[in-house]
Amino acid sequence: MITLKNVSKSFKTKRGRKYILKNMSIVIPSDKNIGILGRNGTGKSTIMRMLGQIEFPDKGTILSDKSFSWPLGLSGGFVGNMTGKANIKFVCRLYGKSPKEINEIVNFVKLFSELDDYFDMPIKTYSSGMKSRLSFGLSLSFDFDYLLIDETLSVGDARFRKKSKEALMKKIESCNVLLVSHDMGTLRDICDVGIVVNKGKMSYFDNINSAIDEYVRINS
Amino acid sequence: MVKRSSFKIFLAVQNALFLRELSMRFSSGRMGIFWTFFEPFFQILIFVLIKLLLFGSEENSFDFAIFLALNFTAFNLFKNIVVKSTASFKANKALFLYKQVKPIDTIIARSMVEVFITSIIIVIFLSLGFYFDFDMNIEDLSMVTFGFVWLILFSLALGVFMAVLNVFVDSIGKLINFFMTALMFSSAVFYSVDILPIDIQGWIMYNPLSHFMEIIHGFYFDSLDDHLVSYDYILAWTLSLLYIGLWLYIKLEKRIISS
Repeated sequence: MITLKNVSKSFKTKRGRKYILKNMSIVIPSDKNIGILGRNGTGKSTIMRMLGQIEFPDKGTILSDKSFSWPLGLSGGFVGNMTGKANIKFVCRLYGKSPKEINEIVNFVKLFSELDDYFDMPIKTYSSGMKSRLSFGLSLSFDFDYLLIDETLSVGDARFRKKSKEALMKKIESCNVLLVSHDMGTLRDICDVGIVVNKGKMSYFDNINSAIDEYVRINS
Repeated sequence: MVKRSSFKIFLAVQNALFLRELSMRFSSGRMGIFWTFFEPFFQILIFVLIKLLLFGSEENSFDFAIFLALNFTAFNLFKNIVVKSTASFKANKALFLYKQVKPIDTIIARSMVEVFITSIIIVIFLSLGFYFDFDMNIEDLSMVTFGFVWLILFSLALGVFMAVLNVFVDSIGKLINFFMTALMFSSAVFYSVDILPIDIQGWIMYNPLSHFMEIIHGFYFDSLDDHLVSYDYILAWTLSLLYIGLWLYIKLEKRIISS
């Protein structure tokens, strides 16, 4: 369960304050795969970052007893002049994994990401597709209650996209996702429920299809 | 996911950051490693030469090369902790994506790496000293150690303060190197304060770093002492810096994470 209590979040712009959420209270039930929809710039990614506790509301509180992954997206928290392998080891250590577990995760990610020789080369030599393959493989190795995914599925070539979607479908048997996407097909396939973000409000729909209908309605 | 206690998380984060910083230091090319360990030798060489040129081979009551080795080790430790800390929040921004990494963790890890590297340099100095039969008797080892530990605390306090400033004021990062050079000349690094004219001594002792240097070389050499040191003065400096630095940090931590 995720509880938002009187949450406000805004940004100062040259043309006044822009609200992403204004005095919002909502309870999001557990054990659902949640899709977040909204037009560009409504603050979907910011909301996701707030759930991942790396961005904070101006007012109000967000409470949850669940664990959240770091937001998986195009720009992972990787260090450019370290190798892919060294970066994977670093994140494992952050989560307090033992040397044996680290070894297993490194092997898994190497296999999954299909980076071959690039796995032992600095990340700065990677293309953005390669980076997200690494980041996605890594996220599959941890047991979070929620995976925060920001459009990651839309990168990589067609074959890898298919593979990662299959891996994700398998993963969500044991965990849930919070997915920001503009791809209605992906949202329908993966998510059970939806949240539409619009004009400083989040509206919860207990069926992803009705969330998509609402999204289409505000877009037209 | 298994819940970990916050102290366990802190240790895991420190372990990860320390190893990462260390491998970054040593993967920055051969010149980087070379310079890390040979900078102090160059500094000693230059100042020994300057002294020879200015004063001839006039004898001191202590070995000037050892005096320089000691003081530059302490000063470089201070300089590196402060400079690395200042850049720390900006350089590690990508890591704040992981919620268990707090900005101040990166400062602690970077400083520990500096302490580690300094210990290696001290071991190198000691081995060379014994090998070449220098007289390395220490008057009071525990007070010298005390001086070093306090200096590390002082550097950390200044580092936190500068790191917070650096996030919100752009030019700090550029000024810091100039600031450090100015400090090197005014901090009793290659001279002891009591050889200076009396009216200059007063000015030099306004600089808190001079006090640390006077403690460290004052208790290392029999012929020097700490009579110019005001422990209250540096305690006031350390506590005020620590207070202001941590206060600013706590106020602004969230903005630093999401900046």
